[in-house]
Amino acid sequence: MQSRALRSGAVALGAAMVAALALAGCSSGGGQDGPTTLNYTIWDQNQEPALREAADEFENQNPNVDVEITVIPSKDYWTKIQTQMSAGTGPDVFWVNGPNFQLYASNGQLAPLDDTGIEAGDYPESLIDLYTYDGSLFGAPKDFDTIGVYYNKALFDAAGLEYPAAGWTWADFQNAAQKISDPANGVYGTAAAPYGQMTYYNTILQAGGEIISEDGTTSGYDTPEAAEGVQFWADLIENGSSPTLQQITDTWPGDTFSSGKMGMFLDGSWAAGTYSSAEAIADVIGVAPLPIGPSGENTSVVHGLANAASAKSENLEMAKKLAVFLSGEEAAGIQAKTATVIPAFNGTQQAWVDALTAIDAQIFLDAVETGAPLPISKNTTAWVPVEEDYIKQILSGQIDTETGLKDLAGEMNDLLAEE
Amino acid sequence: MARLRGREAAPRRTAAQLSRGRAWWALLFIGPAGLGLAVFYLWPIIRGIYLSFQDVGPFGGETFVGIDNFIEVFAEPDLGRALLNTLLYAAICLIGIPVAMIVAVLINTKGLKGRGLFRVLFFLPVVTMPVAVALVWRLLLNVDYGVLNLSLRAIGLPGVAWLSTPVVNMVVIAIVGIWMGLGTQIIIFTAGLQGIPDTLIEAAELDGAGPVRRFVSVIVPLLSPTTFLLSVLSVIASMQVFDLIFLMIDPNNPAQSQSQSLVSLFYAKGFLQHDLGAAAAIACVLLAIILVLSAIQFRLQRRWVHYE
Amino acid sequence: MSESTSVMTRERAPVAVREPAPVTTPRRARRAPGKPLTWVYALLILGSAVMVFPFIWEVLTSLKTLSGASSVPPQILPDPFTTRAYTKVFDTLPFWNLLGNSILLTVIRTLGQVLLCTMAGYGFARFHFRGKNVLFIGFLAVLMVPGQLFLLPQYEIIRELGLLGTIPGIALPGLFSVFGTFLLRQFFQTLPMELEEAARLDGANEWQIFWRVMLPLAKPGIIALTLLTALWSWNDFLWPLVVSGSVTSMPLSVGLSLLTDLRLRDDALLMAGALLSSLPMIVVFLVLQRQFIQGIAFTGTKG
Repeated sequence: MQSRALRSGAVALGAAMVAALALAGCSSGGGQDGPTTLNYTIWDQNQEPALREAADEFENQNPNVDVEITVIPSKDYWTKIQTQMSAGTGPDVFWVNGPNFQLYASNGQLAPLDDTGIEAGDYPESLIDLYTYDGSLFGAPKDFDTIGVYYNKALFDAAGLEYPAAGWTWADFQNAAQKISDPANGVYGTAAAPYGQMTYYNTILQAGGEIISEDGTTSGYDTPEAAEGVQFWADLIENGSSPTLQQITDTWPGDTFSSGKMGMFLDGSWAAGTYSSAEAIADVIGVAPLPIGPSGENTSVVHGLANAASAKSENLEMAKKLAVFLSGEEAAGIQAKTATVIPAFNGTQQAWVDALTAIDAQIFLDAVETGAPLPISKNTTAWVPVEEDYIKQILSGQIDTETGLKDLAGEMNDLLAEE
Repeated sequence: MARLRGREAAPRRTAAQLSRGRAWWALLFIGPAGLGLAVFYLWPIIRGIYLSFQDVGPFGGETFVGIDNFIEVFAEPDLGRALLNTLLYAAICLIGIPVAMIVAVLINTKGLKGRGLFRVLFFLPVVTMPVAVALVWRLLLNVDYGVLNLSLRAIGLPGVAWLSTPVVNMVVIAIVGIWMGLGTQIIIFTAGLQGIPDTLIEAAELDGAGPVRRFVSVIVPLLSPTTFLLSVLSVIASMQVFDLIFLMIDPNNPAQSQSQSLVSLFYAKGFLQHDLGAAAAIACVLLAIILVLSAIQFRLQRRWVHYE
Repeated sequence: MSESTSVMTRERAPVAVREPAPVTTPRRARRAPGKPLTWVYALLILGSAVMVFPFIWEVLTSLKTLSGASSVPPQILPDPFTTRAYTKVFDTLPFWNLLGNSILLTVIRTLGQVLLCTMAGYGFARFHFRGKNVLFIGFLAVLMVPGQLFLLPQYEIIRELGLLGTIPGIALPGLFSVFGTFLLRQFFQTLPMELEEAARLDGANEWQIFWRVMLPLAKPGIIALTLLTALWSWNDFLWPLVVSGSVTSMPLSVGLSLLTDLRLRDDALLMAGALLSSLPMIVVFLVLQRQFIQGIAFTGTKG
């Protein structure tokens, strides 16, 4: 009996030891001889199927490589990438965007792609510029996006309005928004979503202002033009054409729009597929270019993602090859057909337009011509939260536009000075 | 047993002999857990305190900066606001304790049928995933189509932006916090109630005390050790509130910057603004505050807690 | 011998260990006056309604259509009644995979923590060595520290071990618990020394004493810790969020947040997902409710 007790104790302890050793063992020998595994991290589930298809193609061409795709929800994406990178365990290839690109490039986290045979001429110039740092290209442009006005024909008909069309103005927009609004029945003309890229960046540019100086060193918020661009949205909330910011917080306006209860909504080309297949509005959806502002322009923010290879990848050459491949013609062709985002590779965009049969998606491509790049600086993520905080306070009526923007410009300039 | 008793006469080993052999056994028992606790819990504290005196680059790289991080976080208005929010949250959560006590007494009323069912119903939120709790309550509290606002409107009152009005949202989230934790507190009170001898209550009853009198003058004082324990635990836990705020206040919430707790601020500094040094400094401040509050509670304990 | 001890303790409620429950003389069968009891029922039913309403609404909403879930005035009962949200959960999430991860993580962390905490708790309760108190107080200080402080250093350690994005990596820190060690130490301290002494005189070594004599006696404490650890592990959110790389190692709690990231919000889908993720633990609770409740009560009286 005693020896049995001893044995059972020893077995339990032994099992624990073995488990501990096994854990430790796993860590050291991580598949040395097997195929090379590359991790590709993205944030949009909707794009995963197409990218999986492209990755399969890459695996066919490179038999000894396994591509594993990780999707991290967008709100956790940068937190997680940053934690992983500082821990030295980041993905081999991952998506970068404008606001975060320079932080990663300037800190030596990305591998230059200049020697991979990627041709700058295959991509829109603005995207090549966006992902060039210190004369080297660090991101292979994957897609681009512009902003348009999605509208609901049924609500326009009901209000006896003409549909928005190229050449329409701020006044037309404001008028339509007010006519369509019927807050008592939960119907709104539009929504002042507190996201610069979708709303106030565009109107500030259309008013002739700027968010940040071209060299990325000073804030543009302390100008009358910027104030005009922000006030545009504050007015829409004020006169009931838009839900209040509190309502927007609880119900994303895109959802209100897709349930048929919003007349117009400014959103990116990335959402075209989602809206045109949303049950309640699929038959009545239309898209129009942005309205023309006081400056006489209907400027849209142009932005796009890139595939970047981590400088710390253990299979650096293969990672660079994958990043470029995923932004190349073949992968772009696969993506275009799914009507998710506009591929950046020149000549593949038409397939995207064609895939969106319900709407005139061409307006998103046209917007590139008159567009302006997304405002960024070396450490964009440092001032964007401050900016968003002030804008939210202005839009929710906690501070007036003039004071708010003056304070915002001051704080933003302080942060830019630190860069 | 009889066999054992027969041995009692055998000479005992000396204490010294005993302890020398036993030291190895102690190591065997404590060693595995002790090692893990040291590596995964003690070391991180030391490292955290160390980091609070470092400037950490966005991708690593540490330089000693003395107390600069502390100066930085104290200079910003965020810390004060987060502290007030956290204290407000903690204060409201304390209201859950008397509520739990009353429910515990009600559930333990003699002659009550369906006691088990009530206990289960009050305990249900405890076993529900916080992520799920946040999702459900966000739906109930929705400005436009949440049940709460729709009910208010139905009786002619205006709806409230529960989660995007500063202060109001902290109160609301604290109430959800109470809702989640009530079951646990009820059960601990029930255990405390079972420790109260029936004779005391019966004596009070014979003295002609009604149910309310009995509750106030017998049960409340006798439960005070439990109440004390729960209030200490509640304060420690609510000073660290994060999950619910993180899950219920979206980044696009206009009140977001005014609705941070100390830990939310820590998370924002460390994981969103990538300033690990400042984040570690905030965690150290939080640690100090929790220690002070616990010490105050232990001090005050003498005034109102009756141990038998 | 161990047989007799375990029989002796098996029937005792854990709460009763320190201070035997009030002697169970049949409580005086008091004819409760009707009126107060009515009040008690009224209050309790009202309270239960507040506790349960969110769950009922969760279930109802999960059975509605996309527009039905957010209609004004609200639909009380789903109209039309549809289970499409559930189908969509399985289409959108690798649900079975996530469920498997949650179960695996919970089993590993619970078994590991219970074994290690029981041993260490026993060690701290029954052995005396120089520096023990200092060590113990050092560990207790951990209880005061906000958990988020551990996050980054723990992440660094898991990275050094090469375990990021793996189930063992997520599980490892959770194998150890100061709270569990403290709980079991408190428990072992309340157990009488006599049995131990007797077994020692009988020639049993320390492991035998622990395994055959003390462990059966500690059953209530062990059950309490098991259930609390399982509950904590199932619901744990921030740590797996940071460490799990992809759905291959993600538990349900983290996977659920993928549903909130869809471009169009679908409240029915969110509710269906929330319900399906919480359901396993709720079922375990309903089956083992007595043990759960005793476990919580136990921590309240020992903690």
